[in-house]
Amino acid sequence: MLTLSGISKSFIGVKALSGIDLDVRAGEIHALVGENGAGKSTTIKIAAGVYRPDAGQIVFEGKPVQWTRPAEAKNAGIHVIYQEFVLFPHLTVAENIYLGHERRNRFGFVDHARTRRDAAELLRKLGVEIDPRMPVSELTVADQQMVEISKALVHKVKLLILDEPTAVISGREAELLFARLAALKAEGVAILYVSHRLEEIFQIADRVTVFKDGAHVATKAIGEVTRDRLISMMVGRDLKDIFPPKKPAGAPGKVVLKAQDISVAGRVRNAGIEARAGEITALAGLVGAGRTELAMGIFGGLPTTSGDVWIDSEKVEAMTPAIAIRKGVGFVTEDRKGQGLAMLLDVAANVTAANLSAVTRNGLIDRRRENEIARQEIENYRIVCRGPATAVATMSGGNQQKVIVARWARTSRKVLILDEPTRGVDVGAKTEIYRIMRGLAEQGIAVLMISSELPEVVGMADRVVVMREGVVSGELAGADISEEAIMSLATQHPGAQAPAMEGLPQ
Amino acid sequence: MSAIAPAQRPTRLRNNQGILVVAALLVALLIFGAFISDRFRTLSNILNILEQSTGLALVSLGQTLTILTGGIDLSVGSLISLLSTLTSGLIAGKASMVLPVAIGVLLLGLLVGIANGLLIIWLRVHPLIVTLGMGAVLQGIVLLYSLGPAGAVPPGFNYLAYGRLLGVPVGAIVIVVLFLLVGLFLRYARLGRYIYAVGDDEAGARLMGLPRARVLLTVYGFSGFCCGLAAIYLTSRFSVGQPYTGLNYTLASITPVLVGGTLLSGGKGGVLGTLLGVYLISLINNVLNFMDVSTHYQLIAQGLIVIAAVSIYVEKKKRV
Repeated sequence: MLTLSGISKSFIGVKALSGIDLDVRAGEIHALVGENGAGKSTTIKIAAGVYRPDAGQIVFEGKPVQWTRPAEAKNAGIHVIYQEFVLFPHLTVAENIYLGHERRNRFGFVDHARTRRDAAELLRKLGVEIDPRMPVSELTVADQQMVEISKALVHKVKLLILDEPTAVISGREAELLFARLAALKAEGVAILYVSHRLEEIFQIADRVTVFKDGAHVATKAIGEVTRDRLISMMVGRDLKDIFPPKKPAGAPGKVVLKAQDISVAGRVRNAGIEARAGEITALAGLVGAGRTELAMGIFGGLPTTSGDVWIDSEKVEAMTPAIAIRKGVGFVTEDRKGQGLAMLLDVAANVTAANLSAVTRNGLIDRRRENEIARQEIENYRIVCRGPATAVATMSGGNQQKVIVARWARTSRKVLILDEPTRGVDVGAKTEIYRIMRGLAEQGIAVLMISSELPEVVGMADRVVVMREGVVSGELAGADISEEAIMSLATQHPGAQAPAMEGLPQ
Repeated sequence: MSAIAPAQRPTRLRNNQGILVVAALLVALLIFGAFISDRFRTLSNILNILEQSTGLALVSLGQTLTILTGGIDLSVGSLISLLSTLTSGLIAGKASMVLPVAIGVLLLGLLVGIANGLLIIWLRVHPLIVTLGMGAVLQGIVLLYSLGPAGAVPPGFNYLAYGRLLGVPVGAIVIVVLFLLVGLFLRYARLGRYIYAVGDDEAGARLMGLPRARVLLTVYGFSGFCCGLAAIYLTSRFSVGQPYTGLNYTLASITPVLVGGTLLSGGKGGVLGTLLGVYLISLINNVLNFMDVSTHYQLIAQGLIVIAAVSIYVEKKKRV
C-alpha cells in the first residue's frame, strides 16, 4: 500500500531521518517502534504530506507520489491520528467528524440533522456513547480519541496511521481500539501503528519495524522476534550498559535532607522522606500521586500546611526556594523550557544563572570567568554544543537537560532534587544523565530523583520512596527494588500491570 | 470513561449566551431611553436608529467573518474613506456615472480585501499588521487624490440613505437581508463551516487539509466588499465623500462583533450577535444624544464597551 524507500529528512542541520525504508501492506497492522528521537513522528509526517523528504521515494498504491500538502495525502486515503488530536474544540462532535466531508442535502447545503444522525450511527458502531451535539472541548480525552477514530471511518481510508494512540487512554478503551483496528484490517485497510508499548505490539501487529536514531534497523514478522530482541534493537545496547553501577551495599549514608509530616493542600498528606549523602533516592508513583508537590513543598516552592524540614540536622523554619538554595539544595524542574532554562540565552548564562555571585565582580558579570566555568562544565558533562556562546534553544533536549543539571550541581552542595530528569531525551543522553547523577552522588551529594519511568527507578535508585494519592505508601531499598514491588505500592493492587507508567519498554 | 456523565449537556446554540446578554441590554436601554425622553419612544426615532446604524452594520458584517477566522481587518476605515471619496469624485454629479462607479467601487473594495488576504497567506504575517499597513497605504492614496470633499452626487442618490420602503428605511431592509444571507452561509455552506474551523485551530485546519487560503480570501474579500457598500451608503448619506469619512469605522466595526459574542481569537460567534451589537451601539449613541451630552461621549462609551466585551467573553484558560 505504502512504500517509503531511502527517505532522508533534516531540520536546520539536524538529521532526523537518514535513508529509511518502510513498507506497509494492505490488510496488515505494521508496528513502528523506536526510542524518542528515532524518527517515528517525522516518518509519519512525511507519509502524510506534512513534511517533504529531502531525498527518497514515496510509493502509494503502486504509484510514485510527491505530496505537497497534507490534503493530497488525505484525499488519496491516508488518515493520521496524531498524538495531539486534530479536533476543533468549539465545533460539535458531529461537525468535527464530518469536517471536510460535510453531509449535504440536494441543494448543496450542510444538512445538520443528517450530520448528527450519521455521526451518532458511526459512534454507535464504534461502541461508544457520545452525544454528537456536544462541543468537543467538553469531552474526556478518551472520548476525543474515539471522535478522531470515527473521523477516519468517515473517509475512505486506505492507510490508517496511529501515533502512540494508547498513551492517553485506559486499558479498557485500548481493547476497544484494538478490536476496531482488527475490523479495519479485515476490511483490507493498511495500518501503521506507532508505539513504544511492546505488549500491545505483540498483541495486535503482524510485522514490526524498528528505527533507531533516524535509521532503519530491521523489519520482522512479529513471530520472528522476542521482546528482548526488540528492546536491544531499539536501544542499540543492552540494558545493563545504560545504568551506572549502584552504590555498593554497606553503611547507609548520612541523612542530609529530612522532611516529616509534609502536607500540601489537596495534593500531599503528612508525607515524610529522607535523602542520604552518597545515595540516589527515587520518589516513585503514578502521575498525580503528589511526588512533585511533596518535593516542591520541601523546597519551599509550594506552600505547605504542615510539616518540618531538616537540612543537615538543622531545622529550617519557613522554607523558601531562596533559603533552600542558600542551604545547598537544588531543584531541576520537570518542565525545563517553562521553569528551567532561559531558552534564548547561551549556555554560559544558563549554567551560572543560579549562582551569579560566583561570576560577579564589583556588581558586574565577569563574562570571561563565566565562559571559563561554562567551558569547564561543557567538558565535565559532555554537553554537545559549539561552545559557551551557543543559544540553548538550538540544542537537543538531552543537552539542554545537561545544562540545567550542570547549573544546579554547581550550587547544590548537599541535596539535588531532579524531577523527571530524562523526560523527552534520547537514550544516549539518558545514559549520560544517569552517569552524571551517579557521579554527583559519589561526590557525597544526596540525590533525590522523581521519576515515572520504572526501569529508570529500578536501574538507578539505592532507595525508593513510593507515593500513592498524596501519601507515602512504602519504601524499598537494595534488592527489594523491583518494578512489581513499586507498582504494587503505587497502586496498592499487588501484581497490577503498569499501563500508566511511561518510558522504556517494561 | 466513554459513557456520558449526566452533568455534560450539549450546548445547542454556540453563541446563545452572548446573544441573550446583548438582547437583554437592548431591552434595558430601550426602557431607560423611554424614561428619559418622550421623543425617544416615538416610532420615527426607532426608525431613525435603524437608518443610522446601516453603515456600521455593513462594515461590522465583514469584520465578523475576519474575526471568526481569528484575524481582523484594520484597513476598513481607510478603505471606506477612499471608496467614499472616489464615489462622489468619479460620479462628479453625473447621473449616468452612478451605476458604473458603484460597480467599480464595490469591485475595488473586493480587490483590496483579496489583496489583504493574499498578503496574509503569502507573507505569513499576522492580519493585524497586514491590514494596519494596508490601511495606512490607502489613507495615503486617498489624501493624494483629494485633501477634502471630492465631487458631488446627483439628486436622488440619497435614496439609499434616506429612502423608505413601506415606511421602513431602505438601508435597514438591506441590512436584515444581508445578515440573513451571511448567517445562512455560515450555517449551511461548507465554506462557512471552514471559517469556524480555521479560527478554532488554524494548524489543525492545515493538517485536515481544509482550504485555508480560500477561507481567508473569502473573508477579507468580503470585508472589502462590505466597505464598498458602506462607502456608497455613507456617500449617499452625506451627499459627498471626503478622506476622513471612514475614520472611526475601524474600531467601530470591531465593537459590535465582540459585543455580540464573537471571540476575538476566532472560532466562535456569528452574525446575529453582531447585528444586535450594532443596534446596541446605535441605541447607546441615540440615548446619549437625548441625554444632551457632548457627542464625544459616544467615542468614550464605545472604547469602554469594547474593552468590557472582550474581558467578559474571554475564555478562561483551561487547566491542563
